[in-house]
Amino acid sequence: MSFPLIVFYVLSAILLFSAFKVVTAKNPVHAALWLVLAFFTSSGHWLLLQAEFLAIALVLVYVGAVMVLFLFVVMMLDINIEKMRAGFWQHFPLAATVGLIMVAEMVLILASPQAHLAGYEAAAPLAADASNVKVLGLQIYTTYLMPFELAAVLLLLAIVAAIALTQRERKDGKYVDPAMQVEVKAADRLSIVKMAAVRDEPVINETNEPQA
Amino acid sequence: MLQNYFPILLFVIVGLMVGVGPIVLGKLVSPNRPDPEKLSPYECGFEAFEDTRMRFDVRYYLVAILFILFDLEIAFLFPWAVVLKEIGMFGFGAMLVFLAILTIGFIYEWKKGALEWE
Amino acid sequence: MNWADLNLMPALPEIFLLAALSFILVLDLFIPDEKRDVTYGLSLLTLAACAALQLATFEPFATTTFSGMFVDDPMADIIKVAMYGVTAAVLVYTRQYVADRGMFRGEYYTLSLFALLGMNVMVSSSHFLTLYIGLELLSLALYALIALRRDSAAGTEAAMKYFVLGALASGMLLYGMSMVYGATGSLAISEIAAAIASGHSNAVLLVFGLVFLVAGLAFKLGAVPFHMWVPDVYQGSPTAVTLMLGAAPKLAAFVFIIRILVQGMGELSGDWQGMLVLIAALSMMIGNVAAIAQTNIKRMLAYSTISHMGFLLLGLLAANEQGYASAMFYAMVYVLTTLAGFGVLLALSHAGFECEKLEDLKGLNQRNSWYAFLMLLVMFSMAGIPPLAGFYAKFAVIKSVVDLGAVNMGFGMVSALYLAVFAVMMSLVGAFYYLRVVKNMYFDDKQSDAPIVVRGEMKVLLSVNALALLVLGVLPQGLIELCIEAMRQSLAVL
Repeated sequence: MSFPLIVFYVLSAILLFSAFKVVTAKNPVHAALWLVLAFFTSSGHWLLLQAEFLAIALVLVYVGAVMVLFLFVVMMLDINIEKMRAGFWQHFPLAATVGLIMVAEMVLILASPQAHLAGYEAAAPLAADASNVKVLGLQIYTTYLMPFELAAVLLLLAIVAAIALTQRERKDGKYVDPAMQVEVKAADRLSIVKMAAVRDEPVINETNEPQA
Repeated sequence: MLQNYFPILLFVIVGLMVGVGPIVLGKLVSPNRPDPEKLSPYECGFEAFEDTRMRFDVRYYLVAILFILFDLEIAFLFPWAVVLKEIGMFGFGAMLVFLAILTIGFIYEWKKGALEWE
Repeated sequence: MNWADLNLMPALPEIFLLAALSFILVLDLFIPDEKRDVTYGLSLLTLAACAALQLATFEPFATTTFSGMFVDDPMADIIKVAMYGVTAAVLVYTRQYVADRGMFRGEYYTLSLFALLGMNVMVSSSHFLTLYIGLELLSLALYALIALRRDSAAGTEAAMKYFVLGALASGMLLYGMSMVYGATGSLAISEIAAAIASGHSNAVLLVFGLVFLVAGLAFKLGAVPFHMWVPDVYQGSPTAVTLMLGAAPKLAAFVFIIRILVQGMGELSGDWQGMLVLIAALSMMIGNVAAIAQTNIKRMLAYSTISHMGFLLLGLLAANEQGYASAMFYAMVYVLTTLAGFGVLLALSHAGFECEKLEDLKGLNQRNSWYAFLMLLVMFSMAGIPPLAGFYAKFAVIKSVVDLGAVNMGFGMVSALYLAVFAVMMSLVGAFYYLRVVKNMYFDDKQSDAPIVVRGEMKVLLSVNALALLVLGVLPQGLIELCIEAMRQSLAVL
């Protein structure tokens, strides 16, 4: 057994275990952290496939950013996880059976001699200075121009959708815009009104006459 | 190429050990005599008043997702910077269009006030 | 690829749509709420301009660009022009509805245009990667649209269900695509077709991938046994958005299937035919039978959609040009019918009242005989009663199945006649609940006296829309020939 193969099996074992924990962890924050581990190990798989850029991107984007988002979402919801997961273990045997049947079917098909998976040769190891960032770059911005620009459109759509769904004007906001405060001129706040000089006639009160 | 990553693998393994070692040592060596009183949750000497979990403002989420979107944009910039010489003006133009589309998103979120906190 | 290879002409309508959409997105920020009609008008104008561009750049053959990832063929042109029209009609029909429900915001229009852009990309892709990105553009915009009415718990729930199941379906599609990539070494549809034709690709992997592709496509189409999301999403979404996701996306999904199954994996039609037979038969059965039990008209129409998708698949599983053309005709007629049906529901809804119960239609003839008549046309067309367009559409797909003679079900050839008879029986079952709506409108007493207030442009468009069903039913020849010609031109190249 070659060394990369050993690493592959170790990583796979960790990946499967952590993925299982993501689903079964009681505390959602723990689940999110298990997911981080799952992402890390799968980035190890990318590396074994000699896709170094994708491995780094997975850590950068998923571990760095997506998980932060997940944690926020988890913290944002004060749902009672216990109540929501009631019946999880009760339905688990059925779900596990269905899942195992699917896995078994897939293994039967892919491991059958007709599938010829053994006929696929392993990719030749790349030279030490081979850069797949470069190879990717040469493809993305030229041949794959259309999907590349569409990715920008997808990101734009995500911005619009996220803002449309979560942003709301707060009625109780006490925010004041300093720029507006500074711009205020005396004339905006104080209006001087000219009025005709009117003098109220003193009310002569009979009873109030100075006593003699 | 994979050989180049061997030191990183070693680093990860050593890092894991440094992290896991003390915990295991602590579990093995330190005295551990729990009783129900010790294990019960407390809050400054009182029983816990409420659940630890409290609602966060949804705007944290908005900030986080906007961060992710621009983070992804950066991920596209790396390979571009590496091959800019080879792909020339065409690649430059491609990235310009990409950034222009995202700038529209930036204008949108700015004007919408998604970056304001109040 | 470099400057010389960059031919933007075939993609001009999409580029214009993106530019106009960005312009509207930014302009809308500076428009005060009371002038939101500017956004509405500009969106309609954009759609008209797109249609004009599409027709102006029309070529009677397929052209590709962007390294062969974008294809502009007659089928795409026709479907796209139809989608512009459908989207414009949706915007007109929903104008009052969204204004009454606090959804009359710029985002409603920009997200709709985003969805349209996604559909356009789906329709014009000849590469698995762009097909997938187009699909995600469409789906993401639809998730957001469904949840746009934030104070509606039902809408949020529907968006969540649609999102989770949509993500699952995307996963299946991607898994299938990666298997096909493993077997053929390419993601470009023409290269996949060539690799399969050469016979050197791994047959087991191909069929394995094909199963996942068909499952993913059936999910997106809402066909049994992947239909569970359809009723909940149709019912939970605001009616305006239900219309949005029930109309144009079906056209896009049709072309999506043609691109993947026919143009990419046409050589494997013997393998996918059997799967489609099962999916189609189950869809027709469960869709029609479950629709009978519904009291909510949106939910009923959702089950009816499932059965219609079964009929659509009948045309596809024939795996010949005539079958594809009849499926294309079916898709167009179905979308036109849905548009008019939901249009009437939207016309009957007003602020604080949703027309979504079957009883809400009771006595419609007494309240307003014109809308009752339009709804009658819709229901007759859906039931497939001559001389409406729905009849001819059903007739065409069933005929293509009969002409087939026998289908390969994997375990052996089975006479296609059984399937055709089954389809006819199921459309008879379907006629029951469509006619129940008609009975409600004409033979029951009215339940409310609320006046039906409809904006002028909607009144005209809705009438034209519903009457088109009658015209197409009497004179279907023009459209069906257009479909046949488009199919012949589009499938000849790849």
